[in-house]
This record gives sequence, C-alpha cells and structure tokens, in this order.
Amino acid sequence: MDPEVAAILVSGLRYLGAGLAMIGTLGAGLGIGILGSGAMQGIARNPDAAGAIQINMILAIAFAEAVAIYALVVALVILFVG
Amino acid sequence: MEKEEAKGFGLNRWLVVLLLVAGVFITGRFAPITPHIQLPGEPITDVLFTLPILGPFYLTNTLLATLLVDLVLFAIAFAVVRSMGDENSPPRGWANAFEAIVGALYNIVESTAGKWAKTIFPWVATSLLLILTANWLRILPIFETIGWMHEAHEGGYEARELIQGVEYIVAEEAHDGHGYEIIPFFRGSSTDLNFTAALALTTIVMVQILGVRAHGVNYFSKFLSFGSFFSMWRRKRLGPFDVIMPFINIFVGILELISEFAKVVSFSFRLLGAIFGGAILFAVITTLVPMVSFGIMFLELFVGAVQALVFGMLTLVFATVATISHGDEEHGEAH
Repeated sequence: MDPEVAAILVSGLRYLGAGLAMIGTLGAGLGIGILGSGAMQGIARNPDAAGAIQINMILAIAFAEAVAIYALVVALVILFVG
Repeated sequence: MEKEEAKGFGLNRWLVVLLLVAGVFITGRFAPITPHIQLPGEPITDVLFTLPILGPFYLTNTLLATLLVDLVLFAIAFAVVRSMGDENSPPRGWANAFEAIVGALYNIVESTAGKWAKTIFPWVATSLLLILTANWLRILPIFETIGWMHEAHEGGYEARELIQGVEYIVAEEAHDGHGYEIIPFFRGSSTDLNFTAALALTTIVMVQILGVRAHGVNYFSKFLSFGSFFSMWRRKRLGPFDVIMPFINIFVGILELISEFAKVVSFSFRLLGAIFGGAILFAVITTLVPMVSFGIMFLELFVGAVQALVFGMLTLVFATVATISHGDEEHGEAH
C-alpha cells in the first residue's frame, strides 16, 4: 500500500478506535440509571434517610462511573499518546 | 443592618453580571485557542540532574501546579491558625469556616469508621483537601495559558509580539510553516498520572499498614488463607463441602490480593480520567461555542468536588474494611 494512504488510514482508524472504546460508557450509563432509580425509591419511602442515601449513592455512582472513565482514558490514550 | 446587607449583595450581584457579560464579549472577540494536548506533564526546565537508575529529573508544569496547591493549603492553614483566637477572643472567619468543614467531615468518618476514626480521619481529610484544592485551582486563568512559547512540530498558531520579549499566539493558522504553541507553567495536578498514582499508592500502602496495626500478622491471612486448608487435615470425618471450601478460600485470597492492585489502578485512573477528560472537554467546547464556554467551568467545579469527595470516601471505606475483623474462623484459630 502507498505509505501516504496507510498513514491517513491509520489516523482515521484511530478516531474509529476511540469511538468504539467509548461504547464502554453504555454500561456505566445503565448502572448509574439503576442506582439513581433505587436511591429515589429509597428516599421516597423514607425521606429521613435522604442524607445517608445520597452519600452512598454518590459513592456507588463513582464506582459505576469509573468504568466509563476507564473507557475515556483508553480513548484518550488512543488519540493522544504515541 | 438589613439595609446594609441588601446594599452589599446588590453590588456583588451587578459585578457578577457585569463579569459574565464581559466574559461573553471578550471570548467572542478573542476566541480561546485549542491547546496542544499531551497526557504526560510537559517539562518546563532543562534536565536539572540525573540519577543513575531513575534517569533524568526535570520540573514539569503539573509538579509546579502541585507546589502551588501546597502553598495555597499552607496559606489557608496559617490563616486558620491566626484567626483561631484565645481565651479572650472567639475564633473568627477562617477558623469558623474550617471548623464547620472539618467537623462535618469528621462526623462522616466517625459514623463509618467508629473507634478508628481518629487514625483514619487525617488521611481522608488530607487527600480530600489536597485533591479538592488541586481540582479547583486549575480553573484559575493562569493555568494552561501562560508559559514558554516554542515552535510546534506540526500545526501551531501565528505569534504576535505584545511587548518587548513577551508574545502571544492568535487563532490563525501559521502561514509559512513556523507555527508556535505554548508549554504552560501550570497545568492541573490531577491531569498527570504521577500525581494520582502517587496518591493512590500512598493510600493503599497506608490501608495495609492500618490492617496490620489492627490485626497484627493475622491481617495477611486475608490474602493467604490457608487456615481452613490446614484445619481440614485435623478433622476426623470429612464431608464433600469440607474438602471444597479450603480451595475456595485460597482462591478468594488470591482475588483479594489482585483487588489490592486493582484498587491502586482504579484510584489513579478514576481521578486522572475525570479531570483530564474535563480539560479536553473544555478545549472542545471552546471551539464549538466560544461565547458561553465558561459555562463548562461550573461542571468542572462540580466534577472536581465530586472526585475529591469520592477519593476521600473510598479511602475511608477501604481503611475501615481493613480495620474491621474479617473471617471468624481465622480469628478462632489464632486464639
């Protein structure tokens, strides 16, 4: 293959790879949605526990969000490193 | 009293509105320039000294920003001590504000950690305050804007002279292949893996030490759980479950060991990804809608605070898990 064409192809595939890596955020989105719904139901049933539920919810969301952030890091490494 | 308060608030309100409107017009006139994006911290000095194994040492802009964060924290600490007051005068200003913050934090720690709160609290509060200050300071205008100018390898922007020896770049393509870009003096500390990985390693090593302090050598039976394996030999009669359980325990121990390393990785990459991703998001938004790009700053403030809180809370949870007793059977054997 012509080296110039190959270079263009590689740079294009990089963007494709970064985009594919971000599919990982799908799971995190679902997880955060489930967490939010659970926390809302908990607060609706027991409004007094809202403070404790909120802190634990944010903590659990951070765990779920971490997966999305790993995907983001992989995408950023694909784009900006090497 | 009431009148005075209303007057002061009114003035501040108009100032904020004025600044917002001025911000919109100024960013419309001088559009923000997409910076050169690079994951490792850029060196801003030449090699200072070289160590035999570790290699060359130089100052990076993220390290300089970390030093600035330390200075700010020291300044706050001195302000708090100065305004603490004595028997005759009550605490004022800074001391009151920090008493509220530290008190609220201590309550959270105590409700989770119980009697170990006094030991765990300094670690939680230190990492939380350090990360919070680092994440919020990178909103300051001097970050990622002022620095050495050098010729870009590819792309780059046109440079103009402001005053003698001081130049600035404008949002124009370089015309004769001599584009310039800026290596900023300050870049958010959390956008460097060195900062986050160092914090994560410190935290996890501290957690292991706390575990040893709480359980003695017995703590490591969490990772090398051969206890039930040896007790299997001493039994007279063995059911099928008694044979399977020791192997499951050993496997769980290996998983625990791996999870300690996974904690370091997840700690460091969570903070790095959130903040570095935010920096890139800001660069992208400024090219899309330069007029209202400051709006994304509020998101940055929120994300920075949440990540600091999450780091502190996870430190608290891991430390608490290490100190509370685990596996009753190992405990029974030790005594």
